[in-house]
Amino acid sequence: MLPTSVIIVLREVLEAALLVSMFAAVSYTLGLSRRWIGPGAGLGLCGAIIYSLSIDTVSEWFEGVGQEVVSATMQVLIYLLLVSIAFLVLRRSRRPDGWIRLIPVLMVLAVALAVTREGFEIVIYLDGFSSVLSQLVTMSMGAIIGAGIGISMGVLLYYLLCHPAIQRAPVIGFGLLALFGAGLLSQAALLLIQADWLPSQLPLWDTSAWLPENSVIGQLLYVLIGYEATPAAIQVAVHAGGLLVLLAMAIRIDRSGVFPVDHDYSS
Amino acid sequence: MHNRAGNTVLWMWRLTLTVLGIISAVPLQAGKPELVLEIRNHLFLPAEIILPANTKVKLVVYNRDPTPEEFESYELNREKVIMGKRKAVIFIGPLAPGNYPFFGEFHPDTALGRIIVK
Repeated sequence: MLPTSVIIVLREVLEAALLVSMFAAVSYTLGLSRRWIGPGAGLGLCGAIIYSLSIDTVSEWFEGVGQEVVSATMQVLIYLLLVSIAFLVLRRSRRPDGWIRLIPVLMVLAVALAVTREGFEIVIYLDGFSSVLSQLVTMSMGAIIGAGIGISMGVLLYYLLCHPAIQRAPVIGFGLLALFGAGLLSQAALLLIQADWLPSQLPLWDTSAWLPENSVIGQLLYVLIGYEATPAAIQVAVHAGGLLVLLAMAIRIDRSGVFPVDHDYSS
Repeated sequence: MHNRAGNTVLWMWRLTLTVLGIISAVPLQAGKPELVLEIRNHLFLPAEIILPANTKVKLVVYNRDPTPEEFESYELNREKVIMGKRKAVIFIGPLAPGNYPFFGEFHPDTALGRIIVK
């Protein structure tokens, strides 16, 4: 019970934690407030509870594939929010104006969506087994450990991205966001294949012998860049397309010199 | 002005409904073979399923337990939460010949099964 709950919670927390840390690093570099983290996570938690309460109804939608469709929609929305954020950062480099204030709002929405999507599974898992008191204690312990590991990895990534050497090359931070965003699109495509909304084919390749998806590194890469050992052609196509768009924006951001490279890092 | 905006919204809404209708009607016409799987006492029944290669199958999983379960398989690239006393539809395949294990993420010690594709 303990390892199961650790793994379930860690897997779900990790994605949201990494997204928060990438956003936090971008905000820090842009000199924007990071006070959106709390509201974003809180909103997401409310979303996760509401989603888990309505999962019976949602699952019935579209002849039993509502869960996949809603999940995929949220993934695509997060991707579009990433594109909008990159667009606003680019815009600032040409014309500094009030639009920059929209960035934290978009970050709140993206984090809330990510927490809703990942959190609802945790809520269902914990709620489903909380009736047995003896299980509740071990499960809560596992959940706390899992959440702790996930958040720690997020904090680690944040400090890594805030390192002055990396900050001087914003293409790294935005490039990582681009890979993350492309992974979201690939996951969304997979969900729509599972729902039979997109045609399915045999996998394009199979790297499970080299790097199994259920290994630690495989899981980390799955969350970070959407690694899939046996991807369908559609997944590879949307991943590449999504990556190209965000990466092109990342490179333009890097060249625009929008980042205040020499700002006081102690503040 | 208001009317025009309203018309545009109405038109877009109709278009969305039509597109959704077309998309959701496609799988109906295709008529994929259906396969039933049950979860009882955190076990998959049957625990082993044999499928023909290169065929798409509609897997219907009934969760007879009062507790939720998550159908999960890395080999099949599938993941879906199934609430207690509910069923879930999961489309799988086409698959190449081989073994495709699956498990219940909430009870990974007992809820184990595999699909053998021949």
